[in-house]
This record gives sequence, C-alpha cells and structure tokens, in this order.
Amino acid sequence: MRVLVLHAHPVAESFNGHLHRIILESLTKRGHEVDDCDLYAEDFDPRLTRDERLGYHDIGPNIAPVRDYVDRLRDADALVMSYPVWNFGYPAILKGYFDRVFLPGVSFEMRDGKVWPCLHNIKKVGVVTTYGGSRLRALLVGDPPRKIVNRVLRVIVKPGAPFSYLAHYDMNRSTDQTRSAFISTVQKTMNSF
Amino acid sequence: MRILVVYCHPVPDSFCAAVRDTAIGALQRAGHETRLLDLYAIGFDPVMQEAERRAYNEMCADQHPLPEHAEHLAWAQALVFVYPTWWYGLPAMLKGWLDRVWTPAITFDINMESGVIKPLMTHVKKVGVITTCGAPMWWSYMVGHPGMRTLTRGIRALCAKRCKTIFMAHYLMDTSTAESRGLFLSKVDAKMARF
Repeated sequence: MRVLVLHAHPVAESFNGHLHRIILESLTKRGHEVDDCDLYAEDFDPRLTRDERLGYHDIGPNIAPVRDYVDRLRDADALVMSYPVWNFGYPAILKGYFDRVFLPGVSFEMRDGKVWPCLHNIKKVGVVTTYGGSRLRALLVGDPPRKIVNRVLRVIVKPGAPFSYLAHYDMNRSTDQTRSAFISTVQKTMNSF
Repeated sequence: MRILVVYCHPVPDSFCAAVRDTAIGALQRAGHETRLLDLYAIGFDPVMQEAERRAYNEMCADQHPLPEHAEHLAWAQALVFVYPTWWYGLPAMLKGWLDRVWTPAITFDINMESGVIKPLMTHVKKVGVITTCGAPMWWSYMVGHPGMRTLTRGIRALCAKRCKTIFMAHYLMDTSTAESRGLFLSKVDAKMARF
C-alpha cells in the first residue's frame, strides 16, 4: 500500500520524533511505499488565508494553494498520523493541515447543505500520539483528540476502514519502562499494518 | 471588568466579524473595558518552533517568547473567544495561540512528580465562547465538540476556581439565513450585555 505518514513535532530528538522514525522503518520493512510528510520539516503554514476562505467551496480551483498536499493525500491508500496532543487537540501545524487540505471536493462534498464524505481512497488509519496528562484527565474533558479521530476521521475515509489509535497517556510522569512498552506496541502495530 | 476579546477569522467582513462587533459593543455598553486581539490582523504565527518547545517545560515567566501576549493574559479579568469552528475545532491560528502563549509559568505550574497542575490564571473569572459551526448541534456533541471543550474545560481549568463559562454557537452555518444570523446576533448582544 501507499501510506501517507503525517508527522507533527518540532524536535527531531523528542519521543514523538523517535516514534516517527519507528513508524517509517516498520512500514518500509513491511513493504509499504511510504510518503513521509513531516509538516515541520516541510515548513507547512497552517493558516487558512482570506483568499482560501473565500474560495473554499469552489471545487477544483480551491485546491490550488495546497495542490501538492492534496495530490499526496489522494495518492495514498492509508494514513498514519504521528503527533503529540497539546491543549486537548492537534498541534496547530496539524490542525491547519485539516483546515487547508481537507477541502470540499477532497475529503467531502456538500449536497443540499449536507456533508458527504468522499476520502474513500484511504482504507486504513493509524494514529500514534502522546498526552501530557493522565487518561482520567483526558476522559473528564471527553478525550476530544480520540473522538476527533474515531468519529470524525472515521466517517470521512472508506466506510469500514480499520483504525488503530495508540496513545501514551501521562507523558509528564512517563518512565523508561512505559516509553519502551509503548514503542513495542507501536512497532508491533506498524509491523503488521 | 477588563475583558480580552480573542478574535480569529481570515475574512474581515465575515459573519464572525459582525459577531465580534456585536459582542464588543454590548460589553462596552455594559461598562466593561475591552481589548481586541485580532490574530489574523496581527499576522500571528501559530507554529511552535523547536527552540520554544525545548524551553517549554522549564519556562520562566520573564523569558516568555511572546511577552506582549503574556501581558494581555495578565491584564484580563475575563476572556471572550470569537471564531469559526473548522473541523469541529479551533482554527489552527487560534489553536497555535493557545499552544504558544498559554505556557507553564504564566498560565499553570506542573508538579512533574504528581502530575498535578496548579492554575495561574485565577484572576480570570469568566470565559465566553462564541462560534459558528457548519455541523448540526447533535453531531457536534456526538464528536465531543472538541473546539468548545478545549476552551470551556481545558482553558477554564487554568482560570479562577468558580470561573463561569458562556457558550454560544450558530449551527448549520451553510444553510443559515439572514434571519437566523440576525437572531443569533441579537442573542449575542443580549448575553454579552449581561456578561
């Protein structure tokens, strides 16, 4: 499969950077063709501009400012995302990827004011993420990052596509042991992705 | 009260701009002092870069990377956010403002052993959130209303203990009418006049 890996972390030597390399290695070893989209390394600008907003629903021309990113998304058969949860959400650079690239005509269509998902080339989704706080703390807030993947992303991609959501909670109190256990889980999941 | 209005929309004459003007007008009529922070107008950069991330956990208040924004936070006794909901969440611009400005040492302190977070924004007694959503209300709640919750729970948790929150949304924006928008503006006006 062609797998698009979206990565969002500014520090290459961080734990998330390490997970990113493991994802790339495992997927390549497994025989997938990997498109590594490291949003920080590519200096992606996450700000939807005035002109983009005004032309948002103009299917066709609306992809012009982000054509390369749209092409890469359309070429992919599967999507893997690697990022830290910050403030109960995606880092801004990744949030902006959705704002700017998941456009009408790309990930959904509007029919009679209703949204019809259409990113059906994506047949499998994997998420590898870290939370600063505990699972309980995330649950008390409703764990929005998990819901946005499991509910929003799920209805946009091919119906029935398998999802795996791997999260290391409580990073602020993580130990070598918890981190290496998580690395093995990620490795295992990506080795059979 | 001193109220910081954080506004985020790329189009100057959008409906969100009308919401912002209505909210500020009502707040001022009620005798509040307001400050407008228009993130697109000032060209805010929402991307936290490497050096900032590296300094994040050991942040000191006097080394904040965005001192003028830290000063806005210190000045405010209440916050009002006005923005469009995109993909159920905050626009990247506003998300990045939280990521870069709401740092340790000025908005919270964290005990690395216990993981306990001590709020430092306790001078903020009220948080208002006014937004527009393309989705219907039931589906927004089904997916957990991530944008709303980031502010009314995540950000609120760093404010005063009994901090009040107000949330207002115009749902189904894509099929909105002049009437529905007008009605929403009058609700915003009434709510903000009693803020």
